Parts: sequence; C-alpha cells; structure tokens
Amino acid sequence: MNKVFSVRDLRFTYPKSEIEAVQGISFDVHEGEVFGLLGPSGAGKSTTQKILTKLFRSYQGTILYNGKDLSDYRNDYYEDIGVGFELPVHFSKLTGLENMQFFAQLYKQRTAIEPLLEQVGLLEDKDRLVATYSKGMKMRLNFVRAMLNKPKVLFLDEVTNGLDPKNARILKDQIRTFKEAGGTVFLSTHLMNDVEELCDRVAFIRGGKIVETSTPRALKIKHGQRSVTVEYYENNHTQAETFDLDGLADNAAFLRLLKEKKIETMHSGETSLDEIFIKVTGVSAHEDA
Amino acid sequence: MRMHNFLKLFKGEMVRLVKYNILQVSFAVTVLWLLVIFLIGKEQAPVFVPLFIFMDAAVMTIMLIGAGLFYEKQENTIKTLMITPSGYAAILSSKLLAAVYLALQSTVIISVFAYFLFDVAVRFVALYGFIIIITLAHASIGYVFAARAKDFNGLIAMVGMYMVLFAFPSIFFALGALPETFDYLLFISPTHASLRLVNYGFAESVPLWQLGLGFLYLVVLTVVLMVFMVAPKYAETAIRE
Repeated sequence: MNKVFSVRDLRFTYPKSEIEAVQGISFDVHEGEVFGLLGPSGAGKSTTQKILTKLFRSYQGTILYNGKDLSDYRNDYYEDIGVGFELPVHFSKLTGLENMQFFAQLYKQRTAIEPLLEQVGLLEDKDRLVATYSKGMKMRLNFVRAMLNKPKVLFLDEVTNGLDPKNARILKDQIRTFKEAGGTVFLSTHLMNDVEELCDRVAFIRGGKIVETSTPRALKIKHGQRSVTVEYYENNHTQAETFDLDGLADNAAFLRLLKEKKIETMHSGETSLDEIFIKVTGVSAHEDA
Repeated sequence: MRMHNFLKLFKGEMVRLVKYNILQVSFAVTVLWLLVIFLIGKEQAPVFVPLFIFMDAAVMTIMLIGAGLFYEKQENTIKTLMITPSGYAAILSSKLLAAVYLALQSTVIISVFAYFLFDVAVRFVALYGFIIIITLAHASIGYVFAARAKDFNGLIAMVGMYMVLFAFPSIFFALGALPETFDYLLFISPTHASLRLVNYGFAESVPLWQLGLGFLYLVVLTVVLMVFMVAPKYAETAIRE
C-alpha cells in the first residue's frame, strides 16, 4: 500500500513556549485508509493536524507527502486535501449554498455542490442563512466544505463531537463512502465510537509522543484478556462464570454449562477502545478531551 | 508572491460587505458627513471637508477592518480560507482593496458634493490617489490593532488612544490651534502625513517635500506593517481560532 504521509521525528514548539507540543513523533498514513490520531486535549493531535495541513510551517523533522517533502509543496497542496474543522467555519450571513459557491470557486478541481448537500441532507436548506442552521447542520456543511475540491486526503478534527446520533451517522456514512471510493482519511478524535466504526489504524498520542500504533482489533486483543464470560440463569438469578480461552473446546466445566444451563450471554474478554484509551493515555476519553 | 484567486476573493469581500451591512453603514456615515457639511455652510466647508474625508479614510478604515477581523474570528472563517490554494498575499490584498473601495466611495461622494454645491476646490485625481495610500496605511494599522485587541471593546480603546496621540494634534493643527512649528514635529505621525496629503487634494498649498515625504512615509509604513506584523499575525490568528 502506498504511503500518502510518512512522518519522521516530527517536533514542534509553539512561539514563546519552552515545551515541545510535539516531541519527535513518527508514523505513516497509507493510501485508502482511515488513520486515527487519538488522544486527550493538549496531547498534540490538533497540532499535528495543523502541521500536516500546512497551517504550522516551522516544524522540525521530515514529512513526506506522496514521497515529496511537504515543505516543497506550495499552495497547490490544498487542491489535494479537504479539512473538516471541529467548529463551524461559515459566513453566517450568507446562505449554505452561497458559502459553498464562494469556497468552491477557489479550487481548480471542484465537485457539484448540490449533490453533496443532498447527500448530507441539506439540499432543502441550501438557501437559508447559515445563521439559522442548527449545530448539526453547520457540521454537515463543514463536511461539504471539506469535500468541495474532490480531495484525495480528508483531515477531520472531532468531526462528530457534540452531534446527535442521527447527524453523527450521516457524517460517518459519508466518511465511509469517501474511503470506499479510494480516499484517505486522517481523523483526530477522542470519540472511541467513531474510531471503532471508521478507523483502519490508530495511533495514541500523549504529551506530544505517540505511545501506541496499531489496528483497533490488534489493540483490543493486546489489551484484552483471553477469557470468555458466560452468564446463565439459575435459581431465579443470573450467574456468571469466566473461562480461559485457551483449551476452551476441552474445558469440561464450560461444555457442561453450555449443555445444562440456560445461557443468557457470552462475552469474550476483549477490552473496549474506551478502556484502552484510558490505559494508554492515562485520561478518560470523555474527560478533558 | 502569488496572487492566485485575488479577484475571486475580492468579489467575495464585496459580497460580504453588503451581506454584513458594512457597505450600508459606510454609506450612512457618508450621508452623515454630508448633513454636517450642509449645516456648517459654504464658508466653513473648505476647512471641515478635508477633515471629514481624512476621518473617513483613516479612523473609519481602522474600525471597519477591525470589525471585519472580529467577525472572521467569531465565525472561524480565516482558517478555512487559509486552507484554500489562495495564499496569504491574495487573501490580505483582497481585504485591503475592499477597504480602499469603501474609502473611495465616501471620498468621491463627499468631494463631488463639496465641489458642486459648496464651491470647494478639489484636485480630484491627486485626492483619490492619496486616499488609496492613506486607506492602505490605516487598514494596516487596523489589522495590527485588531490582532492585539482581545475583543471589539479593546479595539475601540486602541482607536481612542490612537486618536488622542496622533489624530487630535493633527486636527488641532489643521484648525489653527497649534503654531506652525508643530508642522515638522507632527510629521512623525501617520495621521499628519495623511492630513497634509488630503489638504493638497483640496487645493491647499502644501510644500512638495511634505507631499513626497508624507507619501513615502505612508507607503513604507504600509509595507512594514503588512510584511512584518499583519501577515504573521493573520496566520497566528487563524491558527489560534
């Protein structure tokens, strides 16, 4: 798989600060994958995204984009990427359509706006002022804004944060569609539900350093327990027993349970990404992230 | 320096001047000046018209640029503009040109009104040319103030300080309240240089060296502020959103 980004020993210090916000991180983003950079606030994920989108240019280390140094790209780099910001980024006294028309004309390559608006359920509201939009509508318009130039790489920052399940579902479906069409996604988030559904690979960042990089499945296996817990109903109560996964097929107690009891649930001992987030970053995913 | 998308960005600025009622407010201020000129009468008009034009090109420009930047900070639109292939130079230049348009609109209306109805002598070409550089210099000052102010009230406080330190002495001098020797001393102020250029536009006799120095001063001030203070601060503002 081609590497879209190859980042090596990336370092960045904010002006007037003595502490490095990004402390020598290295990772690759492959073509056609959804790569998640996960971490609590202040961990360095937004800073990393701003470096990759060339909003911060005074970094140390190497970033290759499609094999060429990122600093060698001029503003035409922005023809290739789309950025979905965490907060709404629209002119409130223009309509949704006027906003999109203004930004679309700034790119050489652009896509038809109305089908995009339709895909995220905003076509009927295209002629309303953005000031009258709900937060969910503004975030969906943010996504349309990011897609205007038919990007090859999509950067998304906390894209579903604060959205109701319906709006979050719309955006996640769009991200999946973009990926299925061959697009690459760089997602920074603290919402493990998004990660679970969307990410092919993830990197956890803490205090400016990447502490773990893997696939969600491999992480769950690594940090989980090799066990299975069976809940069964007996004597008017739900009871539970846990068995080792190894040698389960020959475990007489387990087999007897299956045969003789009324089984209610069975769970393998894999852990959730929320728990991995807390373990790896030392911070709850919902606290201060 | 690439100016990709400059005209499209400028057109966008003009559309937003209308949608955000900035053009309408600017026009209303111009009408206000016209009413004041009407009230002060033909005799005093040659003294006050240059002052009104100067106030519009200098102080109003600072306020309008500042208000525009605060709107953009509030709506997070700077950052999303900066991730287009346009570049800082084109983005900033389009905003400057929009500010120049606003100042020229007021200047043209007031000067034509004064010339035809109050017989105020006007060197139209020189006046409009000087208004462009005065506006550019004060738009740059407006950006510096807005980038440093925490909120709109902070910006108003900075404009107030600027008026007290730089604009009022020049206005007092123009009204004859300060002796002639202050003419040289006041030249360190961008407002005084601006006022002398505006005075020339209204057919006042201004020494050539003052015109040259005033023009050069405002050009250098604009370039220095834009290159060393406004452009880096603009990027910083976008990133800090």
